[in-house]
Amino acid sequence: MAKDKIVVNYRFRDKLNKVQGGKHHNYCYQCSACVAICPAARFTDEFNPRVILLKALLGAEEELLGKDSPIWLCTNCYSCYERCPQDVRPIEVIIALKNMAVEKGTAPENLAKLSQNIAQTGLSVTVTSTVHRRRQELGLPELRTVPIEELKEILADQEEPPKDNKDNDERQ
Amino acid sequence: MKIIPFWGCMMPLKYPQMELAIRKTMPNLGVELVDVDGFTCCPDPIYFKARDKIKWLTIAARNLAVAEETGLDVVTMCSGCISTLRETQYTLEEDPALKDEVNKRLKRVNKEYKGKVKVSHAVVLIRDELGLDVVKKSVKQPLEEIKVAIHYGCHILKPSQIMHVDDADYPSILDDFITAMGAIPVEHKEKLLCCGKGCMDEDLPLDMTESIFASIEASSADCMGLICPTCFSSFDLGQIMISRKRGKTYNIPVIYLFQLLGLAQGMEPEEVGLHTHRIKADKIIEKMKDKAKV
Repeated sequence: MAKDKIVVNYRFRDKLNKVQGGKHHNYCYQCSACVAICPAARFTDEFNPRVILLKALLGAEEELLGKDSPIWLCTNCYSCYERCPQDVRPIEVIIALKNMAVEKGTAPENLAKLSQNIAQTGLSVTVTSTVHRRRQELGLPELRTVPIEELKEILADQEEPPKDNKDNDERQ
Repeated sequence: MKIIPFWGCMMPLKYPQMELAIRKTMPNLGVELVDVDGFTCCPDPIYFKARDKIKWLTIAARNLAVAEETGLDVVTMCSGCISTLRETQYTLEEDPALKDEVNKRLKRVNKEYKGKVKVSHAVVLIRDELGLDVVKKSVKQPLEEIKVAIHYGCHILKPSQIMHVDDADYPSILDDFITAMGAIPVEHKEKLLCCGKGCMDEDLPLDMTESIFASIEASSADCMGLICPTCFSSFDLGQIMISRKRGKTYNIPVIYLFQLLGLAQGMEPEEVGLHTHRIKADKIIEKMKDKAKV
């Protein structure tokens, strides 16, 4: 084992560097302060933020972005961000990895269900007749309309028009 | 004082009793809530952020831009909303190129996030701008002898370099809030443990909530007090789940701190929607009524 060469996948690290929040993985010096404070690590051996950062430093794409990746066990508590002496912001690196997994199509199916409502309706919770009834019973005002068309417009992945055209548009 | 309430989704849609408690108690503190149109989900700092952080920042920046146009400060009542909005402010401040990228998207709908709006959580507004004396003065029926196990939840405190609410390891903001209502904060060993809701696993969140329930059960607390609707779901409905899946019944009432404030201000339990909770708060109501008779 000792004779095995450690191979670092820099291509993956470059990709991670370009995802918002991913760049800070470079600062990790493997001190384990995050592990000591991590509630998920306390309750399961399957999750260890230091090991996730080590895998990021090695560029272990398969393990991090595979279907069984431990990144989804993170409780999103921000304790590691609070504690890290190196400003790695481990949770943000994990979020960057999650964004990459979504792109790759390996995120848990549940995630789409839990997040698609916002893009479709502008709200994370579905508005049903029960919601209206319960609000009425408590004497609360009617819900306000959600500007969903505006939301869809800012979320659309459109190609930016070529610079010249854009300038023309502005002049008109 | 006039403020813009940012309700988010969980409170108006899932736990309207929390919105009710805010609407009833805040005027007694001299706060006028000015509802405005144009907000969407904050969006949530767990699932939507995991899906696409740039779009997450874009939606949040749009909400901030809507708030900016009003010229008033924005106050959230939900730990998730404050987390998203504050982190967005911090991230866009830290990275001007990213701010430009987000603003390019907002420009499509003639909006711009300038970075001028002040966003805080209701408990921070009360501590820093109104003062706890205002809370004390609003109390008509002090919650004497009501022992409350505070659950801080993660997002109101961490990371403190973004949130600037309190010491993340030794917070006192919520303890001080209920003390002003006359209640007694009770220490317990899992006071700062995460509720586990953001973990995408079946067992782990239950292990965590169960650890918190056991810790509260071992204390002398009459109820649990919190400010986060997501934590509330882990603990109120969560106790039913624990009972069903693990056969252990705790029966610890879980109360949003503004509901407690409503009781302290002399409101009936129904007026702050306590009857809508899975775990009934009858025991502490009786305790309060006994106290009032004496």
